[in-house]
Amino acid sequence: MNKASFLDKEATRSVLASLLAILIGMLVGSIVIVIVGLTNPSLGIKGAWEGIRLVVGGLFATGRNTAGKLTFGFNPTSFGNMLFRAVPLIMTGLSVALGNKVGLFNIGASGQYLAGTAGSLYVALTLPTSVFPAWLVWLIAFLFGMLCGALWGAIPGLLKAFLNINEVLACIMTNWIAANVVTWFFDVSNLKNMLEGTKSGYVYKTSTVLNDVVIEGVRSTVGAAVPEGATVTATRGGVATAKMGLDKLFSGSQVNAGILVAILIAIVIYILLSKTTLGYQMKACGANRYAARYAGIRDKRNIVLTMAIAGALSAAGGALYFLSGNTEFFWNTYQSLPAEGFNGIPVALLAINNPLGVMFAAMFMSMLQICGQKLTELTAYNEYITNVIIAVIVYLAAFMLVIKTWIAKLRKGKAVSR
Amino acid sequence: MDHAQDYVIEMLHITKEFPGIIANDDITLQLRRGEIHALLGENGAGKSTLMSVLFGLYQPEKGEIRKDGKTVKINNPNDATALHIGMVHQHFKLIEVFTVLDNIILGAEDTKLGFVQRKEARKKVEEISKRYGLAVDLDAKVEDITVGMQQRVEILKMLYRDNEVLIFDEPTAVLTPQEIVELMHIMKGLAKEGKSILFISHKLNEIMEVSDRVSVLRKGKYIGTVNTAETSAPELSRMMVGHDVQLVVDKTPAQPGEIVLNVENMHVPSRLYKHDAVKGVSFTVRKGEIVCIAGIDGNGQTELVFGLSGLEKCSQGKIELCGVDITHAPIRRRSEAGISHIPEDRHKHGLVLDFTLEQNFVLQSFQEPRFQHMGFIKFGDIRKYAERLIEEYDVRSGQGPVTKARSMSGGNQQKAIVAREIDRDLPLMLAVQPTRGLDVGAIENIHKQIVAQRDAGKAVLLVSLELDEVMNLSDRILVMYEGEIVGELDPKQTTVEELGLYMAGAKRQNAKKEALA
Repeated sequence: MNKASFLDKEATRSVLASLLAILIGMLVGSIVIVIVGLTNPSLGIKGAWEGIRLVVGGLFATGRNTAGKLTFGFNPTSFGNMLFRAVPLIMTGLSVALGNKVGLFNIGASGQYLAGTAGSLYVALTLPTSVFPAWLVWLIAFLFGMLCGALWGAIPGLLKAFLNINEVLACIMTNWIAANVVTWFFDVSNLKNMLEGTKSGYVYKTSTVLNDVVIEGVRSTVGAAVPEGATVTATRGGVATAKMGLDKLFSGSQVNAGILVAILIAIVIYILLSKTTLGYQMKACGANRYAARYAGIRDKRNIVLTMAIAGALSAAGGALYFLSGNTEFFWNTYQSLPAEGFNGIPVALLAINNPLGVMFAAMFMSMLQICGQKLTELTAYNEYITNVIIAVIVYLAAFMLVIKTWIAKLRKGKAVSR
Repeated sequence: MDHAQDYVIEMLHITKEFPGIIANDDITLQLRRGEIHALLGENGAGKSTLMSVLFGLYQPEKGEIRKDGKTVKINNPNDATALHIGMVHQHFKLIEVFTVLDNIILGAEDTKLGFVQRKEARKKVEEISKRYGLAVDLDAKVEDITVGMQQRVEILKMLYRDNEVLIFDEPTAVLTPQEIVELMHIMKGLAKEGKSILFISHKLNEIMEVSDRVSVLRKGKYIGTVNTAETSAPELSRMMVGHDVQLVVDKTPAQPGEIVLNVENMHVPSRLYKHDAVKGVSFTVRKGEIVCIAGIDGNGQTELVFGLSGLEKCSQGKIELCGVDITHAPIRRRSEAGISHIPEDRHKHGLVLDFTLEQNFVLQSFQEPRFQHMGFIKFGDIRKYAERLIEEYDVRSGQGPVTKARSMSGGNQQKAIVAREIDRDLPLMLAVQPTRGLDVGAIENIHKQIVAQRDAGKAVLLVSLELDEVMNLSDRILVMYEGEIVGELDPKQTTVEELGLYMAGAKRQNAKKEALA
């Protein structure tokens, strides 16, 4: 295969376009860092240079040595946290990418993510682990969360298929409905964090140890005195994602087997889209709904199904993130939607809707988050500078599609004139 | 006598070429002041191109246009408007949510300090509407009024701009019979007031009724101009279709067998308008025969096929395929029950353009066990199948099975669809304009394939707008006019002229219609 035909390949061009977007994003980020550095006397050009090094290689930052110089090396905590934070991004990225493949813009990942969070936390904090083994409760919680997300995602799907209501509108509506319903649900529930009773507000989390005990049907904190004659009727909690040794590999980080589940699901979605008749149908509907209908493919069913699967994927992201045993869910979501849902859009964009590409794009995005953290930790910079980089990359990723088709046309024009 | 004539518009020796086709080949058209001049021709004869040249949408390669005897250059519709040339397009150019008045003055508003002077405009429109008998409700929204009234708004738009040359592009295509009568009346009134009208149509009876003179185009060439009073519908029909038959299909007489498709009193709603597009059609197609639905575009053929294939639900009637009632069956069930379908629009329905050729070959059959196992696609088998079809049906493409359908030529795209549909080997084939836009070689190839299907005992329902194709390929012709079958003809015993009369609605087999009713 010669060089020209390699460049002519669709996939090559797409990957190149994404890499170019990242490169330019980093460049613009660096410029911002320099400008901020030069206008801030406590940073200066030396601080700016440190900032650039951290933005690019923050994942490998290990701190400062005694001379005050930045040190770099393999940082297991950063690596593990990068993987852990990539999990919800992989799932929402897959959700958005799947929708895009079928010609649906799933901007409702946030709502589906919340539905999954609420469903899984509800099961994990309600089913008594004194009756069921913890791993079974985890599995039921995970699946129930996905089911909630699937149902939530199916709503805009149904509206689109049968009433021809634009899915973007319906998704935005369902996002805010989810935000309010979930808040209300936790408000009236009896699932408040009993373990860390000192915390103010309603915080929900599962734990590797027991969450609460039920004494004569009354929910109490673990270790509460049991009145005479009364018995502990159930214990609950202790439901957390297995670590599978990853915590030893990446010590000090939050990583758990969730990343393996996410990678597995990404592979399953890849196989679904490229190897199965269902994926073929879905893509046909996305590429030409009329031709699909002509061929007897039930386009309406496929729209609903796609949105349901997309919903389940986003929900799985929420479930995997909050079933970890060390993440906290704040009840008052009605004021803001989880960013993970919207961040799925740039992830899918950067990955050109390829499920395997989504894994890497999500890890890249979570890496930028870690870089931002390191920036705050080690310099006077604000971590939000990494958001500037993400924003530039998103703009460019959208723009790159234009440039890509432009390049393709240019090459085609050449071929014709030859 | 020419020098004595007062021509308002003269289009002299107009030639307009598009890549690969000469749409107008040395055409001369002279419009007298105050006359209704009809422009007659088949689909693709070059009528619309000629009018687009006059309206400034296209620039001709050769020829000149004269207005009132002076040579003019019309570069765009604004130039045409400045010369007082107006056009009512087949599909109206109105803003649905605006009122009638706002639509009329749009683009020609009188303003004072940036404010639209509606009062004066209203007065002017009211005057015009009274003078020409064009009753409209100026405050109604366009979306709320009938198609006939929308057309009147379009006419008012032209008159508001003081146009004196009015072009009507197939104005009756969308109207009910009553509205057509009214339009004819309006047109005559306009001509009496001194307006000159160019009227594009292929409906002979309308032309005979309303026009003063008729110019006929055929395949981009000018055939002649006649006075309506001195001609007849059959003569016009002969001028329109001509005698030259280009393609002769080699075939033996049909040997029809048992009934494959039986349609009774089928009604199909129209997507665009409130009335039914297919109004109570009944017919049968037998094994081993090619039945052709002939007719001018837009007379319900598309909807008839949609009704049969299941793309549109029938509002009434019954469809039987091989004795099984499929009236309410979904598309896939019909397809499995035995209908293959070469669709009218190969880009919209026939192909997924961003899929590869091999993916397109299995558009319907991907769920059959030969191409999938437990929901997983058998890529190897699809590749082999695609290679066989490419070989057998001579489908040419850049990269074989993995070529993107979008990058293939129109002829090869069509060949791919024909290959796919024929190879499904089903008892009934719906072939809708199977050779549209193809060159002679490709047409011959597809005609041969269709005849071979018939000889193999398949029932073929062909829908075609090409009279040559209808006459040569079919064993039986059903003519559709305004959603009804108005005649059943034997291609061996009929003439193109007679067929043309039926297609233009000038003739119908009444006895047949009564028998069906």
